[in-house]
Amino acid sequence: MPDTIEKFSQGIPVEIGRIERELKKLWEQGDGATTRASLMNLAIYCDGAGAMAKNTELIAEITQSLACRSILIATEPDAQENQVQAWIGAHCHVSGTGKKQICCEQISFLLEGQRTCELIPNIVFSHLDSDLPLYLWWQSQFSASLDEQLWTWVDRLIFDSQTWENPREQFSLLRNSLLKTKSRLILCDLNWTRLLDWRQAVAGLFDTPASLAQLQIIESASISYAPGHHSTAMLLVGWMMAQLGWKIEKNEKSVFTFNRLDGGKLRFEIREEGTHAVDKLRLSSGTANFQIAHESGSSFLHEEIHLPGQDFHHMVPPGKDNIVDLFNEELMRGGKHKVYLRSLTAVESLL
Amino acid sequence: MAQPSESTTINPLREGLTSRPKPQPCTVVIFGASGDLTYRKLIPALYNLAEDGDLPTGLTVVGFARREKTDDQFRKELEEAARKYSRQTVKDELWKHFADSVFYHRSEFGDDEGYRTLAERLSKIDKERGTQGNRLFYLSVAPSEFEGILTKLYSFGLNKAPDGGWARVIVEKPFGTDLPSAQLLNQTVNRTFHESDTYRIDHFLGKETAQNIMVLRFANGIFEPLWNHRYIDHVQITASEPLGVEARGPYYESSGALRDMVQNHLLQLLCLVAMEPPTDLSADSVRDEKVKVIRALRPIKGDDVAKNVVRGQYAEGAINGKNVIAYRKEDRVNPESMTETFVALRILVDNWRWADVPFYVRVGKRLPKGSTEIAVQFKDAPPVLFNRETLGQGANVLVIRIQPDEGISLRMQAKMPGATLRIEPVKMDFHYGTSFGKASPEAYERLLLDAMSGDATLFARRDEVENAWKFIDNIENAWHKSDKPPGLFDYPAGSWGPKEADDLLQRDGRAWRRL
Repeated sequence: MPDTIEKFSQGIPVEIGRIERELKKLWEQGDGATTRASLMNLAIYCDGAGAMAKNTELIAEITQSLACRSILIATEPDAQENQVQAWIGAHCHVSGTGKKQICCEQISFLLEGQRTCELIPNIVFSHLDSDLPLYLWWQSQFSASLDEQLWTWVDRLIFDSQTWENPREQFSLLRNSLLKTKSRLILCDLNWTRLLDWRQAVAGLFDTPASLAQLQIIESASISYAPGHHSTAMLLVGWMMAQLGWKIEKNEKSVFTFNRLDGGKLRFEIREEGTHAVDKLRLSSGTANFQIAHESGSSFLHEEIHLPGQDFHHMVPPGKDNIVDLFNEELMRGGKHKVYLRSLTAVESLL
Repeated sequence: MAQPSESTTINPLREGLTSRPKPQPCTVVIFGASGDLTYRKLIPALYNLAEDGDLPTGLTVVGFARREKTDDQFRKELEEAARKYSRQTVKDELWKHFADSVFYHRSEFGDDEGYRTLAERLSKIDKERGTQGNRLFYLSVAPSEFEGILTKLYSFGLNKAPDGGWARVIVEKPFGTDLPSAQLLNQTVNRTFHESDTYRIDHFLGKETAQNIMVLRFANGIFEPLWNHRYIDHVQITASEPLGVEARGPYYESSGALRDMVQNHLLQLLCLVAMEPPTDLSADSVRDEKVKVIRALRPIKGDDVAKNVVRGQYAEGAINGKNVIAYRKEDRVNPESMTETFVALRILVDNWRWADVPFYVRVGKRLPKGSTEIAVQFKDAPPVLFNRETLGQGANVLVIRIQPDEGISLRMQAKMPGATLRIEPVKMDFHYGTSFGKASPEAYERLLLDAMSGDATLFARRDEVENAWKFIDNIENAWHKSDKPPGLFDYPAGSWGPKEADDLLQRDGRAWRRL
């Protein structure tokens, strides 16, 4: 193993047919103080050679907390010539006990030309670390020509719906692909993970019987969100809608009127305002008011609960927005995300 | 305007957010709040829970202790401690918010007025901070204080929560010093708090790797079919530490290694290794199975003690290249002390699964290195073919490392490359730190959160504690009440204990693992 491999380069160029052999050689150079570790295969699909350096940097950060074999695939479909280039490298860091250097492999591919894109499934299949789960991080837009066999091999499909140009179309493509392949893969939307601390905070507002009683009779609500985070705010609305059984009565794009389960009405406004993905949320039942907001100069979310005769203030972790933090958070959580799928259905009805 | 309905009790927004119930708002009252445990463990644990967003809104901490100090002084002292001992860096902004929820209540433990004002204070906190009458009393005091505190809590009605809330008590070890004292203590506790509201804390059970023993056994298909007397030769459980008694001389003099470590921590680990699969993961299902193991331990009494138990005491020696003094020369230790700082036991579990499989347990101070491990040694393959020459040296060993460097390893035989047939043991090693970069929460974080949430799985139940004492008392009686007590053997500090401990296994044709 070389002493250090430049963290943000793809590594050493290799012939595709010699990748495993070259990787083996890389490990044989070690002096025994290096441990190869892998909990999973992480395949990342991205658009353009320009995204490779940034992703190599991401992988270097991810492997510090989650050991994996990473397979980075970038495509340049508009290139004149059809060709495939490959590199191998490793990301090493010192273990928590300071005794060993822990290293994870990275295999990078650049697929140029229209026809090479068809090679993606084979590239993934032939370089997997056997018997470990496959997590595919799809950083591009989904297209109609998704490979069925690849889909059936993936254990978790990671994506960020915040980057989607046409969320309605993308959700629909994803849903159809899953139905078609009968895949059991778990959808991991980083935009949903981005809302995790927010969802925890909103749920936390209603943990006491007194405030819980107000939840069913919320009359007005509003969310402020940063530019570019419309879909994040919509997911938060969709989640509340799905969990509280609200039905849409009137959709005015940024103002929604819902029918509550008890027959009452609720006005929900979303507005582009602020600097955080979700900046502020307000809920009111008329007699009680609830607010969660980022406050300037504070690195926490501030919860306020105003019940008749009682006021509470609480601080909770801020929502994460760093992509590596989101990725790590998502992978530490298990489960099928039933609530996400339910929220997604709700959001689709609002788009 | 719609009127709120009182009938809803489940927060629908909690679905799918966490796999564990979120604790309800509550007040944690720490008796003995000026003690070391509060500063080193409890407050850092609560702060870390706050930082991770795991604490409920309105959580309040009231420190109850004798020393004169104000809320502000108490908060300042706790801040210094949290900055020193917290797993995560203390953030000024969050600390300030957290500190606002901490109060100091000065009183003698036996003073009625102190409890009357505590009751008033808790009611006021319920109203102002929304803690709904939920109280968690943490007895971080010497066991001699338990009865007095519990009686007062009972007298002032603090053992019953108002308004449909709950009142629970956490009791720190030692849970007695023998069976009669443990029974008395349990009676005292249960006169005030129902057993289901009593949480006896053993921080070993809060460790991630201790919790992983059940996962390893019951979430994997390959181990459980082999986990019995047909395939397992013996089990070794070791808890070693290079430290001496430090400042705990007087406590250790009244306790010794057997009471201090074996009665609780090591028997708990033995139970996790030996128990049958529980029917479900509820607290009582898991604890029922653990109790069955303790009840199946073959009693070691009378002459059997000398045959199956070895006690030792460290003499002077060297640790990490530095000379260290003998136990008898430690601060506030009797120069003629007969207290054991090392104990090794050969334990048999008399049930179908473990018939004739010895569990060798050893624990000691001033040993060469600090380590807590469980090693399951499988029986040898038949002595034919490859094993004619390696018989007795090539057994498969599954090691569960509890601390440090938590992980699991499996030793197996492999052919060395070459034209000749040479077989050597190799080790497959899984290190938590290598595969998971994320730091595990401290045991006290998990245990405090569990107690607030009403989950007693990782806490010892009354019958577990009492049956464990029953087993230990036989040995203590042979040591201290017999006419011909077995010897107390010296061992040099920095060695692996007295030679007699090696003999204990050698008689069975076995040896302690090299750690």
